[in-house]
Amino acid sequence: MIALFVTFFSAVILLFAGLNKKESVFSLFAVVSLFVSAALSFACANQWLSFGMLESWVPANMMSFGKEQHLFAALLAFITGFVILMFRENENLGTDQLGLMMFSLCGAYMMVSYEHLVMLFLGIEVLSIPLFVLAGANKQNLASNEASLKYFLMGAFSTGIFLLGTAFIYGGTGSLELEMMGIKPSFMHAMKGMPIPVLINAGIILMSVGLLFKVAAAPFHFWAPDVYEGSPNRTTVFMATIVKVAAFVAFYRLLNTFGGIKDSWASWLTVLGGMTILWGNLAALGQKSVKRTLAFSSIAHAGYLVMFLLIADGTNTWILWFYGFSYAIASVLVFSIANQAYQQTGDFSFDAFNGIAKKCPIVAVALVIGVLSMAGIPISAGFNAKFYLFSFAWQHTPWLVGIGLLGSAISVGYYFKFFKHAFLKESNNEMQFVDRGLLISLALIIVALGAMPWAILNLVF
Amino acid sequence: MEVIIIPIIASLVVIAMGKRIPMWLSALFSLLPILLVGKYFQQMGVEGGWKTIFDQPWISDNIRFTVGFDGLTGILLMLTNVLVPVIILGGIRNDENRVKITALTLFMQGALNGVFMAQDGLMFYIFWELALIPIYFITLTMSGVDAFKITLRFFLYTFIGSLAMLASLIYLFLHTANYSFAFESLRAVELSHTESLFVGGGILLAFLVKIPVLPFHSWQADTYTNTPAAGTMLLSGIMLKMGLYGLLRWFLPLAPESIEFYQPWVIGLSVAGVLYGALIAIRQKDMKRLVAFSSLSHVALIAAGIFTLTDAGLEGSVLQMFVHGINAVGLFLVIEIIERSTGTRILGELGGLAKNNRLFMVFFMLIALGTVAVPFTNGFPGELLLLKSVYTYNHNLALMAGLTIIFCAVYIFRMVQFSMFGEGTGTVAALKWNEILAFGILIVGVIGIGFMPQLIIDIVHNSIVQIGQWVSEARGVMS
Repeated sequence: MIALFVTFFSAVILLFAGLNKKESVFSLFAVVSLFVSAALSFACANQWLSFGMLESWVPANMMSFGKEQHLFAALLAFITGFVILMFRENENLGTDQLGLMMFSLCGAYMMVSYEHLVMLFLGIEVLSIPLFVLAGANKQNLASNEASLKYFLMGAFSTGIFLLGTAFIYGGTGSLELEMMGIKPSFMHAMKGMPIPVLINAGIILMSVGLLFKVAAAPFHFWAPDVYEGSPNRTTVFMATIVKVAAFVAFYRLLNTFGGIKDSWASWLTVLGGMTILWGNLAALGQKSVKRTLAFSSIAHAGYLVMFLLIADGTNTWILWFYGFSYAIASVLVFSIANQAYQQTGDFSFDAFNGIAKKCPIVAVALVIGVLSMAGIPISAGFNAKFYLFSFAWQHTPWLVGIGLLGSAISVGYYFKFFKHAFLKESNNEMQFVDRGLLISLALIIVALGAMPWAILNLVF
Repeated sequence: MEVIIIPIIASLVVIAMGKRIPMWLSALFSLLPILLVGKYFQQMGVEGGWKTIFDQPWISDNIRFTVGFDGLTGILLMLTNVLVPVIILGGIRNDENRVKITALTLFMQGALNGVFMAQDGLMFYIFWELALIPIYFITLTMSGVDAFKITLRFFLYTFIGSLAMLASLIYLFLHTANYSFAFESLRAVELSHTESLFVGGGILLAFLVKIPVLPFHSWQADTYTNTPAAGTMLLSGIMLKMGLYGLLRWFLPLAPESIEFYQPWVIGLSVAGVLYGALIAIRQKDMKRLVAFSSLSHVALIAAGIFTLTDAGLEGSVLQMFVHGINAVGLFLVIEIIERSTGTRILGELGGLAKNNRLFMVFFMLIALGTVAVPFTNGFPGELLLLKSVYTYNHNLALMAGLTIIFCAVYIFRMVQFSMFGEGTGTVAALKWNEILAFGILIVGVIGIGFMPQLIIDIVHNSIVQIGQWVSEARGVMS
């Protein structure tokens, strides 16, 4: 709650500050307020601090603020802070954009801590509407306009489906509260021979489709590459990290409610997960643009996270947290290197990376760490995240783990293209990378999460 | 523990100092771990099983950072930490990539030490993969060819093998009593026959690709030929031993139920590999490619020896692992020095190099004799034990594998003759102190082990007996 509070008021201030054109000054303010939000949430999670007064404003059946929610809020704020920090020099599009991004983040907070489907719906809308604007922020760019329109249409469409599902669920269970919703179907399931009402099944499917659109899982992923490619870089990173993580947390909380009737939804979700992993990884192989490659890689990662939905039982949420954190950090790192290379060459094919190793070895090292983490190769955060996920998932869905391993092998094919261009190709371009210290510190976070995951997880959870 | 950390820190120091780091200092860094290995030998001894040195929760409470020491580990630590200084002394050219390759080599040393000491399945896997990263980036500095394609093939081959091993290890892990990756817990898992075929197959695949045994070898020749010398030496001298070590340490104890099934296949393929590698080596013109195929042939014989499951085979395999490391690194060092001086390593363009540099010729000759397995050089006792073990398994196979001694003499002496003798224009520059030191270490190995092979066999004897016991117990249960 405290994160929501701090972020919201900073966003309001930034929106007004948009009258002033100096983005760089206010982006520092945004970063500070986000890191403060993250720190306060983390403190609340460990009960060093408590903001009971604030939290009592929200009815308990609408949103809850437990340890888990605080930790996810801290994660989201921390990553957004890094997104704004890493991209502060680029694409000077106005301070109001920072405000919009932080409003969107408020929606993400609501999605991780909802207790009532109305709050989930509100969260999705608060998350999405600023993003429609942000995706089209590059007014002169046709691709950006296309991205905005596409994202808007897909968002509206998926929200509609989601709402229909909500209505069905209400019809089937008589409640929109998470706690109450699950009771009836679980009870019916426990009584042998009692069928689950069609309304409930249909409701779960429709709501899942709405959320699968948001996380860009196959076969509802087709908007993602175009939107990711067209949007300004900062928005792309935000969509690839924050939106994905928040939507997965919401998804997990929703499905966990219906854990009692897992048999009814686990089967098709497994198929979709396997499909997403393969589709994302295979399609990424053929891409020439860095942004599209990363878009497909993020689709593949959505597939791995679907695997988490199948094993989630309320006690292993730390896997989602760890996976989301390591994936988001690595994405921010790789994207910001790609962004800087793009700014200097104006080229968003892999050629932008040519000769980085010679000109700027430190950035090349950071790139290597980020990419290896995304591919899941030790010692990196990505490997541990995948390992936790796979070893837990093995007993429930062994063949999905097999597909996951296959996907990891395929992903090497496109992730290593970064190395091909950074280490093998020559280029005559002058290259100056800024924020090298920040890039290295992101890389160090990845290595630290890879080298001593248990110590860090024990500290956090 | 320290032997893993020190080289990795050293590699960071090398990166930080950049071009200012003198070669002797990095060689000194790489020599530090061998002192620690000596300390382990003194403190832990080689008797009484695989003793834990350091133990700490890592990935979770039951997946631990556990390092252990016994004779088998000791031998491979000795090999790694003797060869890496040799590589740094002699194998790295003084060009723009020097700092990078030195740092990666040191990093690799740490990762390899981790592989050989890991007592926890997941830790073994992590270091196994970690050793792949530096060697990938060393191979990526190759020039003049489609480096990306070659290195990607190399990486994918080994990575897919590793993933199969990871799947098998996770399967075992989920069947342990206390969800632990510890070697003892994994070993205690009882598998049905079908399960053990899959689990064993996954683990075996990772090792066979790394060794490489015949159908999985196609990454090898191109990678060896085009990689900078340091990378080739690391690959052939030490990385192949990871696969062989894995067979002994992880495959045989963890999936003994599946050995019965895989034994004829692996021995058959290995013997085929012995002949195949040797025959192709005879036809090669590029010296590096020649040694690559000779290495394929020699290592396949070691794999065959392990799978005979006789004491002679197992002990001979460890001895031959050590010896092959020394000889392969020696040969690649010779080739590197020839290439540095003359700019070529094609046999037809060389000749008469012996005339102006007698010292170099002596070194080359001694290493060549060791490779051909002349009595009183290091190659002889190991090869004898291995052939003997294959003979007890199957006479005909041993006969075929035995041909390799003749073939080996043909291609090695052909290489010596065409490069060192006859007419030629090229000359080898006088050896520098670091090259002489590198050769000196190798020659001590060649002659020393030739006269006293029993030293190494004594060190590993206890470990081998233990592994043999586990295997025969499991097979006893089976039959």
